[in-house]
Amino acid sequence: MVRVGIPRALLYFKFFPLWKKFLDELGCEVVLSPKTNQKILEKGVEIGFNELCLPIKLYYGHMAKLLDKYPDLDYVFIPRYIALDTKGFYCPKFLSLPDAMKANFHDMPPVLEWEVNSKQNLKAVWAIAFGRQLGMPTTRIMDAYSKAVHYYKEYHEVLRKGVPVPDALESVEKGEPFPDPSEIEEKPLTIFVLGHPYNTFEEFTNMSMMEKIQEMGANVLALENLPERVFEHRVKVSDKFDNYWGNEQDILQASNYFYNSGADEIDGVIFLISFACGPDSLIAEIVMRDMKDRGVPYMSLILDEHSGNAGLMTRIETFVEMIKRKKLMEVTH
Amino acid sequence: MKITFPNMGSAIYAFKALLEPLGADVVFPPPVTKETIDLGVKYSPEFVCFPFKVNVGDFIRSIESGVTNLITATDFGPCRFGFYHAIQERILRDLGYDFRMIALPQGDLLEFKWIKTLDEVCEYTGLKKLSAAWKGVRLFLIKAKLIEDIENAEGKYRCREVNRGDTDRIKRELLEKLDATKRLKDLRNFRNVIHEEFQKMDMDMSFEPLKVFLTGEIHVTLEPYVNRDLKKKLGKLGCEVTQTLSLHDWIMHKFHVNFHRKEMAHLARPHMPLDIGGEAVWVLGEYIWAATHGYDGFFHLYPFTCMPEITARGIITNKLLKEYDLPPLFVSLDENLAEAGLITRLEAMVDLMHGKRKKKNEYKQKLNAFMDSEKQDYLANQQQHK
Ligand code: SF4
Ligand code: SF4
Repeated sequence: MVRVGIPRALLYFKFFPLWKKFLDELGCEVVLSPKTNQKILEKGVEIGFNELCLPIKLYYGHMAKLLDKYPDLDYVFIPRYIALDTKGFYCPKFLSLPDAMKANFHDMPPVLEWEVNSKQNLKAVWAIAFGRQLGMPTTRIMDAYSKAVHYYKEYHEVLRKGVPVPDALESVEKGEPFPDPSEIEEKPLTIFVLGHPYNTFEEFTNMSMMEKIQEMGANVLALENLPERVFEHRVKVSDKFDNYWGNEQDILQASNYFYNSGADEIDGVIFLISFACGPDSLIAEIVMRDMKDRGVPYMSLILDEHSGNAGLMTRIETFVEMIKRKKLMEVTH
Repeated sequence: MKITFPNMGSAIYAFKALLEPLGADVVFPPPVTKETIDLGVKYSPEFVCFPFKVNVGDFIRSIESGVTNLITATDFGPCRFGFYHAIQERILRDLGYDFRMIALPQGDLLEFKWIKTLDEVCEYTGLKKLSAAWKGVRLFLIKAKLIEDIENAEGKYRCREVNRGDTDRIKRELLEKLDATKRLKDLRNFRNVIHEEFQKMDMDMSFEPLKVFLTGEIHVTLEPYVNRDLKKKLGKLGCEVTQTLSLHDWIMHKFHVNFHRKEMAHLARPHMPLDIGGEAVWVLGEYIWAATHGYDGFFHLYPFTCMPEITARGIITNKLLKEYDLPPLFVSLDENLAEAGLITRLEAMVDLMHGKRKKKNEYKQKLNAFMDSEKQDYLANQQQHK
């Protein structure tokens, strides 16, 4: 069986179910690097130099770990997401991810590149190109791909019902059926945690903050749990121009939703940003100003390799306390 | 209508040439100074790339001096630039300024979206409008090319100047002259004027300079205040600077007729098969090109955390440096860069380049001596056989 390794970082948190199902159906065995730990982080920081964003450093770390742990891989899987629709672009670092990896890991096994550029072709065409690298016939690839797409849809439905992303990803990895949504006990507060999935669900670098916020007595909402209608319309950056960043589209859509109709559904927004993230440096400015205009409490948290300290938690606690007090005032008035 | 734009080195003379024929009263932005930077840093998002901050500073200073029509270019990805104008506008509005922001789309100039914007700015109507726009575009392209020529000459000759400051003076005079020339036909001979002016300068032609290649993100590379006038510093340290990057170079690329860039992208292809924004892919090509054309060093300028450029930097340090062995110096620019530190790094780099060149020369000499002795032996052998 062909063995394919995938680093557990970056777009893993978004597209892994799709990749995994596709590769399974093509008859490959998928292995992952272990969950992020201090060693992986340190390795990543050592390889990637300081101006890179944390997720990319982690990707380096995971890649090193993956190659170390499975020296007999037939292929390494590296995505190159360029555009998911005809107008968009991903962040430049995604555009060049395979190149950056190849430049650093010189004796890497052959790279299976999953390139998606909807500006040029349909996604299915890219899927076929991908399958060809494994020497598969087109019909089999198409078959596998449609199954994968279907599976990915199902996965999102499950998420919208409220299953946390890490749990759902775990069941995908093990090849088990998706977990049932657990009964969510209604809490008086709802905090919306905004950010790229590799920030919000990377529990090592954000110190499992989702759980911690819940322990503080608030419901946590993530992008993935929002209803589909939030993501229907393209977002404009100005009256003339549309947003073009594919990987910021959903963040802007959510922010728009809460700015317009959904402001009452949440009590506060926390935006998780990683240090040196280009897109977020600007998008956070928009969200911050939107939320300020709307009077929704907002806080941004910058993650970096040193953020694994108490400071982060203290800030979250203060934020949640502040909202609680605000709510109490509203009720008593 | 008074109109202005953000600073970008001598490129502002070209912007003016584009807008003036449209009937606008074009005002140069106040030159970048510490005040500009301070204002920009104060009101911009903390982690945005440096050009954004400098632009914000430029805009605020322009508005406060009474010019309220701001025109700035915009793009459609993949990098941050496409968001600049929208967010800058919002920041300035929230600060309470009253102004008009005009975005000039430069995504793909062959889509001609920019014509609409020029149309908005133009004061004339009917046929006059057409001829005005046509004149503006032609003046713009020609002047941009001439500015590039001036900048190239500057890079080439400063290391040879005998009287300190001659190059600066000539450059300034030429740019002023260029700015004052408003008619197309008067520009026909301007190339020769540039050539002649620099030929008049006192130069030490026996001086053998180090040859260095300078490139990077366009705004910081073209704006001398931002890059601490690196080109000048290099010249004074005895380096002949080649810089193909210019506004003209960029515009030609956006019109799909820049064959230099096509060549560079081709060289870079095995290491980066597509344009990821900024100058990344061409920087890689230029590195390879410079390494194979006898250059002594490579200088790469970029704003702190600039996404495409740091990717390019990673590929150079992790891979190309081992293959091509051309010493690179990376300068990451933001408001915190200390001038003294930069100078120390430049001097160290110059020493390194001298050392490398010396080694190369010694090797060459040895090789030549060896070849000579081989030749003698061969000749001697031939003699004996006779
Ligand atoms: S979007 Fe931000 S965090 Fe993600 S890869 Fe790009 S720069 Fe890094
Ligand atoms: S290329 Fe660099 S400076 Fe330009 S927008 Fe992108 S990150 Fe900013």
